[in-house]
Amino acid sequence: MNAVVDFPVRPEARPYLEAFGRDSLARAGREPDWLTGYRKGSLARFAEFGFPSRRSEAWRYLDLRALEQRPMLPAGAQRGGISAQIRAQLAEMALGRPAYRLVLVDGRLAPALSALEGLPPGVWLGSMAAAITERPELVRAGFEALSLDAARPFAALNTAFFADGFVLDIEPGVVVERPVEIIHLSSGAAQGGSLHTRGLIAAGERARASVIESFAGAGHYWRNDVIELNLAAGAELTRVALIEEAAEAWHFGEMLATLGAGASLSSFVMLLAGRTVRHETTVRSEGEASRCELNGAFLLSGRQEANILTTVEHAAAGGETREVFKGVATGRAHGAFQGRITVRPGAQRVDAHQLSRNLVLGPHASIDTKPELEICADDVKCSHGAAVGDLDEAALFYLRARGIPDEQARRMLIEAFVREAVELVGTPLMREHLLQRISRRLASSEE
Amino acid sequence: MLEVTNLHARLNDGREILRGIDLSVKAGEVHAIMGPNGSGKSTLAAVLAGREGYEVSEGSVSYLGRDLLVMPADERAREGLFLAFQYPIEIPGVNNMYFLRTALNAQRRHRGEPELDAGQFLRIVRARLKLLDIGEDLLQRAVNVGFSGGEKKRNEILQMAMLEPRLAILDETDSGLDIDALKLVARGVNEQRSPERAIVVITHYQRLLDYVEPDRVHVLQRGRIIQSGDKALAVELERRGYGAAEEAA
Amino acid sequence: MSASSETLQTLRSLARESYKYGFITEIDAEAAPPGLTEDTVRFISAKKEEPAWLLEWRLAAFRAWCGMAQPDWAKLQLTPIDYQAATYYSAPRQSAGPKSIDEVDPELLRTYEKLGIPLREREILAGVAVDAVFDSISVATTFKEQLGELGIIFCSMGEAVREHPELVRKYLGTVVPQNDNFFAALNSAVFSDGSFAYVPPGVRCPMELSTYFRINAAKTGQFERTLLIADAGAYVSYLEGCTAPQRDENQLHAAVVELIAHEDAQVKYSTVQNWYPGDAEGRGGIYNFVTKRGACRGARSKISWTQVETGSAITWKYPSCVLEGDHSVGEFYSVAITNNRQQADTGTKMIHIGSDTRSTIVSKGISAGRGQNTYRGLVRVQPRARGARNHTQCDSLLIGERCGAHTVPYIEVRNPSARVEHEATASRISEEQLFYCRQRGLTTEDAISLIVNGFCREVLKELPMEFAVEAQKLLAVSLEGSVG
Repeated sequence: MNAVVDFPVRPEARPYLEAFGRDSLARAGREPDWLTGYRKGSLARFAEFGFPSRRSEAWRYLDLRALEQRPMLPAGAQRGGISAQIRAQLAEMALGRPAYRLVLVDGRLAPALSALEGLPPGVWLGSMAAAITERPELVRAGFEALSLDAARPFAALNTAFFADGFVLDIEPGVVVERPVEIIHLSSGAAQGGSLHTRGLIAAGERARASVIESFAGAGHYWRNDVIELNLAAGAELTRVALIEEAAEAWHFGEMLATLGAGASLSSFVMLLAGRTVRHETTVRSEGEASRCELNGAFLLSGRQEANILTTVEHAAAGGETREVFKGVATGRAHGAFQGRITVRPGAQRVDAHQLSRNLVLGPHASIDTKPELEICADDVKCSHGAAVGDLDEAALFYLRARGIPDEQARRMLIEAFVREAVELVGTPLMREHLLQRISRRLASSEE
Repeated sequence: MLEVTNLHARLNDGREILRGIDLSVKAGEVHAIMGPNGSGKSTLAAVLAGREGYEVSEGSVSYLGRDLLVMPADERAREGLFLAFQYPIEIPGVNNMYFLRTALNAQRRHRGEPELDAGQFLRIVRARLKLLDIGEDLLQRAVNVGFSGGEKKRNEILQMAMLEPRLAILDETDSGLDIDALKLVARGVNEQRSPERAIVVITHYQRLLDYVEPDRVHVLQRGRIIQSGDKALAVELERRGYGAAEEAA
Repeated sequence: MSASSETLQTLRSLARESYKYGFITEIDAEAAPPGLTEDTVRFISAKKEEPAWLLEWRLAAFRAWCGMAQPDWAKLQLTPIDYQAATYYSAPRQSAGPKSIDEVDPELLRTYEKLGIPLREREILAGVAVDAVFDSISVATTFKEQLGELGIIFCSMGEAVREHPELVRKYLGTVVPQNDNFFAALNSAVFSDGSFAYVPPGVRCPMELSTYFRINAAKTGQFERTLLIADAGAYVSYLEGCTAPQRDENQLHAAVVELIAHEDAQVKYSTVQNWYPGDAEGRGGIYNFVTKRGACRGARSKISWTQVETGSAITWKYPSCVLEGDHSVGEFYSVAITNNRQQADTGTKMIHIGSDTRSTIVSKGISAGRGQNTYRGLVRVQPRARGARNHTQCDSLLIGERCGAHTVPYIEVRNPSARVEHEATASRISEEQLFYCRQRGLTTEDAISLIVNGFCREVLKELPMEFAVEAQKLLAVSLEGSVG
């Protein structure tokens, strides 16, 4: 190791530092110096933070010991063609109808599977690797804006190690009519390793687009994805994340969004598969009268563990936030929702509502929910509601009285419960896709 | 009793709603102010009652010989100006009877009269309830919380009957009421008619005026009174619409 | 009419007053030297002529405390507390253990009269038995004989240790262990006095039991310890009131309250906390770090906490219920007001262990001035707690643009048949409500008082009558100067 290490290093971070040292030769000459600078700086921060402890509020409901004890080091680039397995994964996850599609296999662009033709003028969509060369200012600005703190050590790790990802850059006033689809697949080649991907969406003033990101794969891997969204004044963006990782996989997703005046973000996060899945959304409403809709659901079985976290910080007046999250845990699964809405001093006339509803359906299943309000302005309308319970017995009985077998009746009710949140997705194509995936998941978990 | 002279008022955002109102109401009179939606009827009521959010840019209002516009809203109320709200406000957790007694005692204190204790108050309020044919259960609920539209209006009339104002302004108290509720409101108003008291009824429809006979009728249009007359004017308006009134003016 | 019908006139006259309990009593006191070491603990134990087991118990707590750090997770900003600068024992010098009220220093009796708590027999409050705690020790307990006839023990903790050591030893620290948390450990090491009550099986305590806490001495911490036991089928309602003089430095209050309800027993614990809150600029005021917890040990037992928190510069307290017995019930009703620079981080924990346990939480937070008010609560349903139910309602009212209201609920469910519901709102008093009241002749101040009382009604109605009136007055006083 070289100049990177002249600061204290937490023991669990050490293997990652060593891996970074090994990679540095391979990287040398391929990347601009500014990027190497960010990578080194971020690695230093990660080394200093180490893994979060469970005393850290943002990580209190997730058990990281397995990951801490057995490092999952960044996987190197894979060679070779596209396997049949990858094609099968793609067929599962892709939207039925045409969309602009960018596919990443094992964390790197797979041009052969991507379809980027016919993008309207004023829209740039491509891999992160290409953007670093073609749109360096945009990419740099993104790194500049990302503040690294102890609660986000893996975002720092991501900056140090990301291999690729995507960038969507939309000029002011441009409307992207067709959905943009980003599909992350994993071949299983990264067995025991980690995949770090980085996304960036910049929507200019009054620009409009809908993006769905799907995550699937095979084998035992850790995906660590970071995406930044930057919505200029009046921009409107829908972002859907569908997480259906391999049964043994870890997935950490970090989404950081900044909203300009009158901008509108609509986000939906669906956690369906993966051993341990965590998705955190942080929205900073910086312009007046922005609107932020954060919805999502997790549907867990077996020994799955999933966390959804949201933080919305209203730093400007007149903002509006709506959140609906649904959680279902069966078997021995454990799910948690932590949502915080903050109203900064002076951010008057904020209207925010948050709802977290959950079903605990197994004798060993568990749910935690922590809806949180932090309000430092008086002219506000903020509320939250949270509920944890069982399926409605009366409804169940009603279905059974009509001759529907118990198992099927339960599945219908669970599906209806999750559907309530999915209905909030504004893009019909994506909504239908999600519902279909949920049905399949419920059908398969029944066996 | 009330002299409104060339009253101009605008909202905080600068929009001018009242553009020179002249109105003179004497003790013992009942005036009806009619006009289409957006003509400034409710703004006039709000400005007279001292609601914040309006700026009086021109003109004057004298009430009982005093400058009304310099008085804070609660002082106007204690001086006998009552506004029956178009949309009465809910106050959770505050018992309706307690609210009424608190308001009445605030006014009595202001007039140098002894305050009423719970027993004295209850006797008076029961008598009024009977007179107005309002159920006593209304008193035991929180102020306007969970009240139906009709109950809210009844509650306003009950408050008016208890507070015995010198000038009562009824802001569309008749809107959204069925015929029974309308008659009840009318009864409340008629019962309040007296030589010492003036009543201003603000309404969109002529309907209420079938039961409450006004001495004067004014037509408000775009922030101005464009026509005034006796009760026949109301009938004519009902027949020919506000458009005709505007043309006539 | 309900207790909430206290006339606004009274509220108004009160609202013009400032903290009226801020006087200092000139009294000869005996104090331990400042600082905290094992010797301090031994000094206190010796002063109180305690048995060896209790000294050992205290020392164990002290050693645990030495290895602990002051918790920093609450949303509070406070100046660091120098635990070595405080005095841990201060007692009014009087003939050891006054035999009757006539032997109590008249200056002390006058103090309690000024506070509205007469202790002389002919003046004592009807229906309320009072244990008066002045700085570190209990100075008088009323109605002892009458209660004794029913087998009810109500006395100071010091006396309980002497007269009923078997009961104290059996229950002390069983709900809040010595090493439970930093402040509980501190209290366990140095607690000086407090109240003790035991209600025998099947007895319904015929009057409210009450402790009135008064901090007087400067630079003195108060560390009282209260232990209440309701044996099978018993019922007791307990009131706690507190005041302190107006002083420029912060004073530390770290109490522990333990409640135990056996099978079918009920304990109702009500607090009106009015420690000196500090001045408008945040100088002085009590640092109130309190651990209160009740254990519903038996089936169908019930513990109900009601608190009105208006005082203190800092409030850190989470009266909790551990619902061990099947079908046991826990309740928490709270009003917390923070004005000027006051900070409150308060809430509850409901731990559902037994089956079919139920809990209710109603929290009303009012923030004014630069006050910061946090509700922090935990509802936890353990795997065995089949059919557990919780409902939480948590509302915040903001008055003025520089205050803050925060809601931090934790809901942790480990049983599929549980049903837990949480609702929270935050808003300000609407302009419409204010205008409506003013249009009926109420001044702005009276209108706010009325609306705030309405906002708190669900909680205030849980208070015993005597306290409800007091609490309403306090709400008005506490909000003084919060508008225009």
